[in-house]
Amino acid sequence: MIEVKHISKDFVTPKKYPGLKGAVKGLFSNEKIVKTAVDDISFEIQKGEIVGYIGSNGAGKSTTIKMMTGILSPTRGECLVDGIDPNKRRKENAQNIGVVFGQRTQLWWDLPLSESFTVLKEIYNVSDSTYAERMEFLNRVLEMQDFFDRPVRTLSLGQRMRADLGAALLHNPKVLYLDEPTIGLDLIVKDNIREAIKEINERYQTTVVLTTHDIGDIEELCNRIIVIDEGKKIYDGSLAALKETYGTKRRVSMEIRQPEKVAKLHLASLLNVREEECSVNYEKESNTLSVTFDKHKIQVPQLLTAVMSVMDIKDVQIQETELSQIVKEIYSHGIMEG
Amino acid sequence: MRKYVKIYLPFTLNALKRQMAYKGAFYLFILVSLFSSFISYYLWKAIYTSSDQATLGGLTQEEMVVYVFMVYVTSSIVMSSISNYVSEDVVKGTVAMNLIKPIDYRMSLIAMAAGNMIYRFLVPSVAIWIGLEIYKVTALGLRPVTAVEVLLYLLSSIMSFLIYVLFDFCFGMVAFFTTYIFGMMLAEEALLGFLTGQLIPISFFPSAVQRVFDFLPFSSMVYTPIMIYLGKYTGRTAGFMLFRQAAWVVILYVAGGLIWKRVTKRLVVLGG
Ligand SMILES: Nc1ncnc2c1ncn2[C@@H]1O[C@H](COP(=O)(O)OP(=O)(O)OP(=O)(O)O)[C@@H](O)[C@H]1O
Ligand SMILES: [Mg+2]
Repeated sequence: MIEVKHISKDFVTPKKYPGLKGAVKGLFSNEKIVKTAVDDISFEIQKGEIVGYIGSNGAGKSTTIKMMTGILSPTRGECLVDGIDPNKRRKENAQNIGVVFGQRTQLWWDLPLSESFTVLKEIYNVSDSTYAERMEFLNRVLEMQDFFDRPVRTLSLGQRMRADLGAALLHNPKVLYLDEPTIGLDLIVKDNIREAIKEINERYQTTVVLTTHDIGDIEELCNRIIVIDEGKKIYDGSLAALKETYGTKRRVSMEIRQPEKVAKLHLASLLNVREEECSVNYEKESNTLSVTFDKHKIQVPQLLTAVMSVMDIKDVQIQETELSQIVKEIYSHGIMEG
Repeated sequence: MRKYVKIYLPFTLNALKRQMAYKGAFYLFILVSLFSSFISYYLWKAIYTSSDQATLGGLTQEEMVVYVFMVYVTSSIVMSSISNYVSEDVVKGTVAMNLIKPIDYRMSLIAMAAGNMIYRFLVPSVAIWIGLEIYKVTALGLRPVTAVEVLLYLLSSIMSFLIYVLFDFCFGMVAFFTTYIFGMMLAEEALLGFLTGQLIPISFFPSAVQRVFDFLPFSSMVYTPIMIYLGKYTGRTAGFMLFRQAAWVVILYVAGGLIWKRVTKRLVVLGG
């Protein structure tokens, strides 16, 4: 459905100098800064997939989405959406896609929501019967009837987001792009939106590409994730595989009785592993010793026995690495480069 | 064609509704621009009184009065700016929201401008026009305007509208490169005041300058329809003037299309 081939985007901005003197200097200098926001990214997405496109702030997610929707032309490379290059045949492509940018709205700010839908109906050439059927479905999953006659500018964020999602879906697009669709929403509205996306995907086999900073969105919705960092693709695969590969770290925190003995504890040699395979961290205030290790290499009872051979333990806590932890580590360049 | 109307008519209607929603600002606008019409009315009156010639620039004092107020009527119909929409769309990044839809951005802007034009025409302009016509016949003793002149005037004004809007679209494209065109919009307005004949009838300029103006689209924006209305252009001259306007519509349409193509290549959608 979507083919992205070696796509890159450079932003060229004139160099700015600080201060008033700098501003004057900037007028006469011709220096440019080139920022490669997206750097040679390729992937393919099949029909009916829900793909989470994630990365830290400024990683280049929105830029990629903009190129896939045809509103930004790539500096290098190309992409095809349902066989159409969105940059060359923007209008044709637009008929096939629905887009929600969480940060802004595609609805007409001053008009009642119902009017925006009427306009969209004409723009996308939706027949009366299809319109009625779609509206019924959208009203059911997004519950828009309560505010359907109000001007868009008076809607709350959550209401507006639901309305925007509805507007993006009115013409039954083949591909739905969602750039942070749950930003700033409360838990219940978030849930509603996720349910709606799921239902649309199942019912119409709509392909969904979604960027988000909400790990919940990913866990609930995506069967595949693509992680980018500084414009480069660093992971592409299923969520399960990501967890399997990077979620093998386990962390045990122990409250101990004899802090003075911490120095005497040589865990690596006791357990017969290398130093870097079990990292030990002692926190004085809470009197807690935490050990991080690979769950395939060391068993918890084994670890506890080793520690207890040196000192007494008051309390134990075991933590699995959560997805958010993994993502955090990927973002801080922890996992991929090591 | 029907499809076009179906797609873009909602934009026109929306612009109309928006105008009604912001009535207050609109009345203020009417008041301010009428005020400047009166200033130029008194200015011209003083000029004519102090001059020993009866006609200046080919216009009698009475015709000048008509000219001044027809400038108001005509420019309020014709000068329905779209570059401010463009700059707003660029700065807020909402241009993206137009580009993700299967519509032509320029057509949607023109459709909105048409909505503004209709509103302005219906609300103040028609009333002022009728008032002026009555004043003209009763107080100034000029002949009433003929039906043909009115029709030609309206036809010419619609072309003027298209010329202005298409030109303003090209101008608005600057916004994509500077992302800040407020100052330039003020400059545009001031310049157009001169070049279109809003401030001074084109016939007041030296003939060499006038010849240059013949090759620019600006006099077609305001001056031409008013000259038609005043009965200064008749028969073949009127035909030629309308033809020239049509030519400008085509030229600016094509130019705007080309510029837009280039701009979309370099388009940077802000935010996100
Ligand atoms: N118009 C522009 N001019 C210059 N640089 C830009 C422009 N737009 C984006 N960038 C830069 O490109 C990089 C990627 O931006 P992008 O908006 O794609 O990030 P993102 O992944 O969506 O981040 P976030 O999660 O914060 O939304 C950023 O470093 C940003 O500063
Ligand atoms: Mg973003």
